[in-house]
This record gives sequence, structure tokens and C-alpha cells, in this order.
Amino acid sequence: MSGGPAVRVSIESQCERQVQEVSLDGLETYVPPLSMSQNLAKLAQRIDFDQSSDSEQESREPRSALKFQPSLWPWDSVRNNLRSALTEMCVLHDVLSVLKDKKYMALDPVSQDPSTPQVFQLISKKKSLATAAQLLLKGAEKLTKSLAENQEQRRQRDFNSELLRLRSQWKLRKLGHKILGDLSYRSAGSLFPHHGTFEVIKNTDIDLDKKVPDDYCPLNVQIPSDLEGSAYIKVSIQKQSADIGDLGTVSLFRRQPKAKPASQMWHLKLEAAQNVLLCKEIFAQLSREAVQIKSQIPHIVVKNQILSQPFPGLQLSISLCHSTGEKKIQRASPDKSKPDDHLYVLEHNLHQLIREFHKQTLSSVVMPHPASSPFGHKRLRLAGPMAYDKAEISSLQQSEGLLEKIIKQAKHIFLRSRSIQLQLNIGVEQIRVVHRDGRVVTLSHQEQELQDFLLSQMSQHQVHAVQQLAKVMGWHVLSFSNHVGLGPIESIGNASAITVASPSGEHTISVRNGPESGCKVLVQFPRSQAKELLKSDVLQEGRWTHLRGPYREVHWGRMEGRNFVYKMELLMAALTPCP
Amino acid sequence: MEAPPVTVMPVTGGTINMMEYLLQGSVLDQSLESLLHRLRGLCDNMEPESFADHELVYLLKGQQGNPFMLRARRSLLHPTAPWHLRYLGQPEVGDKSRHALVRNCVDVAASHSLPDFLNEMGFRMDHEFVAKGQVFRKGAMKVVVSKLLRVLASGNTENTEPMSLSYLVELSVLAPAGQDTVSEDMRSFAEQLKPLVHLEKIDPKRLM
Repeated sequence: MSGGPAVRVSIESQCERQVQEVSLDGLETYVPPLSMSQNLAKLAQRIDFDQSSDSEQESREPRSALKFQPSLWPWDSVRNNLRSALTEMCVLHDVLSVLKDKKYMALDPVSQDPSTPQVFQLISKKKSLATAAQLLLKGAEKLTKSLAENQEQRRQRDFNSELLRLRSQWKLRKLGHKILGDLSYRSAGSLFPHHGTFEVIKNTDIDLDKKVPDDYCPLNVQIPSDLEGSAYIKVSIQKQSADIGDLGTVSLFRRQPKAKPASQMWHLKLEAAQNVLLCKEIFAQLSREAVQIKSQIPHIVVKNQILSQPFPGLQLSISLCHSTGEKKIQRASPDKSKPDDHLYVLEHNLHQLIREFHKQTLSSVVMPHPASSPFGHKRLRLAGPMAYDKAEISSLQQSEGLLEKIIKQAKHIFLRSRSIQLQLNIGVEQIRVVHRDGRVVTLSHQEQELQDFLLSQMSQHQVHAVQQLAKVMGWHVLSFSNHVGLGPIESIGNASAITVASPSGEHTISVRNGPESGCKVLVQFPRSQAKELLKSDVLQEGRWTHLRGPYREVHWGRMEGRNFVYKMELLMAALTPCP
Repeated sequence: MEAPPVTVMPVTGGTINMMEYLLQGSVLDQSLESLLHRLRGLCDNMEPESFADHELVYLLKGQQGNPFMLRARRSLLHPTAPWHLRYLGQPEVGDKSRHALVRNCVDVAASHSLPDFLNEMGFRMDHEFVAKGQVFRKGAMKVVVSKLLRVLASGNTENTEPMSLSYLVELSVLAPAGQDTVSEDMRSFAEQLKPLVHLEKIDPKRLM
């Protein structure tokens, strides 16, 4: 107000319209400003047309005139406000400048209101905290309840999903509120009278607060008590017969079953129980037959072992080894026990034979035609109408029992293990050579004959060795001949030859081995590696160069290796390129 | 000498009296598929065995009372298979708590001259029908699902018409007399078929 430079005031209208809505991407929509006619209408609405009397109008006129007088210009109120603001600011400025001198005016602090008593503050704080705490507690309770419900549901779901998995692999049925299952082979054709029923137990009562053990499973199975543990059938052949006192006490060492990583505990349990049942069935069948079949040397059945003598001096022992896993059973004869004499092949064959027998009961030859006739083999049904006699009927029912089949197999194994390649029977005037494949050659007393014979055998053997080596190394045998008709004639025996091809087909090795001419090895390379081949116009495409081309001879004497087989192996390895 | 397998029940014994334990029920044609499915799952695991049989029922009218009935049945799918002659006795009245119908049963396989033989013996054919369906087995139990067809012209099995819109389901076991556990097993098996088909003992006397 008092002098001083003029204050420049910039004014700009607010230009703010009311926001009607804000869209989701932040765009604001404004209320559109009223048009001229709308504005006029708004103003006209303010006019009270009811007051139409003159006197009132006159008395009101000056007032209304005063009131109704529209502002001379729109910025009038703005100017007035600014002017008053400027006044205030000037006053403040003056007061502050007077205060600075401290001669005419001084500042005094304003006295504080007396503070509210401490106790009141405490109580109010406590109350507010208590309400806050209550809210939080309520929320926490709700959360824990829902979590507990989820866990319980999950446990139930886990049980159900485990049950689903169990059902996909084992037969289950519901009896009342119990879930029972069948692990016997009866639906596969077995006639063993064991029921094989197991029960499924829910295992969801564990306390989830404690740490869940790693092998926890919400489902457990209870198997019949006589099928617990694991079992196998031990088949062994011994040269000497065991002592009487040792019978029936076969060592029951446990073979650790291979635990498949993804299988559940119940699956392992059920599989083990099923195996025990099958072993029991096999052993029951064998012992039944051992008692009933009449043979020259009677079979001995003692406790869990069956002994029979296929050949004199040879003993076949079949025993059921069932370990329940609770206590370790000490070996019966510690020094004589040889765990490796168990013949896995025969055990496997026993399993296969019993399964064959199962399949027979399920085969369609047993089904009745017409449908009202009883079950039974269809050929046996003809026995009545065709008036078969006893011999024919017994020939129909002829089927070797399990025991006889196993004994035959044991005999075969024994004989095979005893046979050797060549057997030289040296007599008084002659030497008789019995070959493994049955050929018998009689040689005279001249040692040259034997030498020649052995030489020819050696050369043949070398070619056979190439054949075996090819099998092992993955090479294919293209041709093989024991008595080759080409090449120089041998004075002793015949030459033999073999051609083998590499797995990729790029190389071949040809071997010709004669007792006199020695060993000749040739190798065939692909055309692309042969330098002496001329380019020809006939072969248009490049793929023909992968075919095998000419042969080249190997200096066999200069090959590395202690003997023929080593050298051949090295050659094959050298010709098989690494991928 | 061969040894018989572990457990086998002598089906045709010399003087052993064989009894047939029977439960019967029926299903409508449209429910047949689901029943066959269920049976396929419950019974022994083999390919389903279809059959088509022609059965002739012979009666011997004596002077007194009830005529003597024999059933002769042959397979239409296996013409070379022998005929099957069957005698079924009266159902045993026993205690009511027995779950299955029990009656004496004699089964004989016969050659193809059976009808002539029976005629010579004095039997007269009372009626004949054709039965087509499937056979299932579970251990010793036999389940036969059959559609009975009426033979329109006697002896002509090509011209047949169904007798009803449903299939007859029979669960039967042949066992020597005195084994009552058989009916328990049959009942528990019938329980498993429960909502699809109700197998119960139906006294033939009540139907006459």
C-alpha cells in the first residue's frame, strides 16, 4: 500500500472443470462446460418470477439491483480477494519490520495449555491398542482355521489320490466301510486256495505340527500275516549229497530287493506279498508232485526243501526260502554254503511254468460249448461219446508236472556244463576225437595227423572267434564259410573265411584263414576315401561316394596285439569312427 | 502217472452226487453293455466267450404223476462238439437261509445221435429254444448271460425270434453235495453285481 515497486500479479483462470470420471488408464473425462443457452437457462432458473408486485419490486429494486447487479467484470471478486491479501501481507510485513527493531514491539511465547493427565492418556492408548489387537486376533483366528481346514482337506485328498493310484494297479473292493483288496493270482488262473486279501488302512492321523517323516504315506496296507517278508525259491545242484542232518535247514540269506525309486511303500509291500504267495504255490505244487509221482529214486520232501537225484551222484535241491525279516536266521552249514550255486535260470523257469499252468486254466479250451456243460478240457468232453479207453484218457491228460519239467531242465544244464569243445580219447592204436557238435574223427597213431587236425581246428576257431567278436562289437556278419572253395588249395583241411561289416556299413573286414596259408585280412573302404578311384560321369550325385569301394590288404604281422583276437579287436575299433 | 493240479474239484465223479447251485436274474436289453462290462472286470481275465446253443427239452410221461424231464443241448457255433444231456432234480427244500437254489444235477456228454436215442427210449420233445449270449467264469463259478429265442419252425434254428426284450443272467456252480461255503461265495459275488442285476433264487415250482 505504501510505495514500493508495483507487484506484478499474473492471473490465469483455473480452467478447471469438474472431473466426471477417471477411466482405468488414467484418462480423465471432464464434465463438458455449459453452453451459452444452458448457462442462460441456469441463470434464468434463479429468477423468482413470482415476485411481480411493483412495490416489492421497487423496494427490492435497489437491493436486488444491488444484489442482482451482475459483476461488472468476471475478475472483480478475484481482484478484491487479491487486494485484501496484499493488505494483509503488507500489514504482516510492517509488523515484522517493527519487531526487528525490538524497540516498540516484542514477541512473547504463548502459554501452553495444561497437558492432559498421564493416566488418561495411558487409558486411552490402552483402549485403542486393545481394539486394534482384537481385530488382528480375529483375523489371525480366521486364517488359522482356514489353514487347518485346507490341511485336513489336503490330507484327505492325499489319501484319495493315493487310493486312486492303488486302485489303478491292484484289485480293490469295498466291504461295509472297509476297503479290501486281492493280491492273489486267482483272477489270473491260479487254483491255490489262499484268499490273498489285504486291507487298506487310512493313515491320516498324524500330527502335522511335528515333522512329517520322509516316507510318510497317507495310505497303508495290511497284508495277511503268513505273507509277510520276502521269499524266493532256491534251486541248486550239488555233486555230493548232503548229510541227513542238514536237510530242511537251507540257509535263508536275504536277497535285497531292488527298490524302484518311484514306487510307494504299499506297492513294494504288496508285490513282496504276492511273490511270497507265488513261491508258496510253486513249492506246494512241487511237493505235491514229489510225493505223488512214482519215480525210481524217490524224492525227499523235508520241511521247506525238496531233494531229488536226476543222476546218480548228483543232487538237485529246491527249497522255499522265506524270511520274515524280523530275526536273522543263521546259516545251517557255514563252511559248505555257497550262495552262488543258486541257479537263477531254473528259478525263473519255475515261475514261468506256474504262470503257464495258470494260463491253461483260463484258456478258452476249457469253456463249455454248449454253455450248460461243466468246465473242462474240450477234448476230454469227447471221452464219453467217443468211448475212449483208459489209455486214451490218460494220454489226453498227459502233462508233465512242474517237478518233472524242472528235473529235466536241471539234467540238461548239468550235461551242458560238463561238455567241452574237443574230447580226445586216446586209445591203444587210435585217437578218437569227439567234437562238441557231435562229429567223431578217428585218427591213426601218426602224430602228424593229430597235429594237422589241430591246426585245421585252430584256423577254424580263429574264424569263429571273428564271428563272436563281431557279435560283441556290433559288426554284422555278411558271409561265413567253414570250407571255402576259392583261393589256394590247402593240403591240410580247408580254409575258412568270414566277412563282417561295420555298424555304419562303411567298412568291411574279410578274413580268410587256412591251416597252411595262414591268415589274410582285407579291409574295404568307402569310395570317398579311396584315392585311386577315377571320377566318372556316371555317378551324378555325391551320395554314391558313401558306398564301399576297393579292398586293401592289412599287414597282419605288423598289427599291434598279442594274439589274433586282440589284433582283430583293434582293427575293428580303428574302423569304427567315434560319433 | 501224472499228478492232478493243486486243487481241482472232480466235476464228474463216479458216484459223487453233484449239486447245482443256481442264482438267476435278468436285465433289459439296453442295460446289457454295462452288465457285460462289470462282469468282464469281476470275472477271470480272459477274452469273452460267446455261445449259441440249441436246447431241446424231452419229457417221458409215465403212468403216475410227474413226467421225467431231460434237457439236451448242442452248440450251434461248434457243430462237432458233443451234445450235452442234463438231468436236474427237484430243488432241495433245506433251510430258507441258504442263498442259492440247490438241486441235484447229472451231466452227460453224448454223441450226435442223442435225439434219435431219446425218441427210441420213449421221450417226446416238449419244447425247444435257442439261447445266444456270453459265458464268464470266476474260479468255479459260471455266469451265463443269454438271450432266449423262440424257434418258429421245429428243427429250424435259423428262423428264430426273441422271446422277450431282456437277457437272462444265471450264476451257477457245480459242486459235490454238502459244501455250503459255495452259496456264500455266490451271494457275495451277486452283491457285487447288485445295482445292475438282482440275482436271487427263483423257485421254478412257483412259476408253474
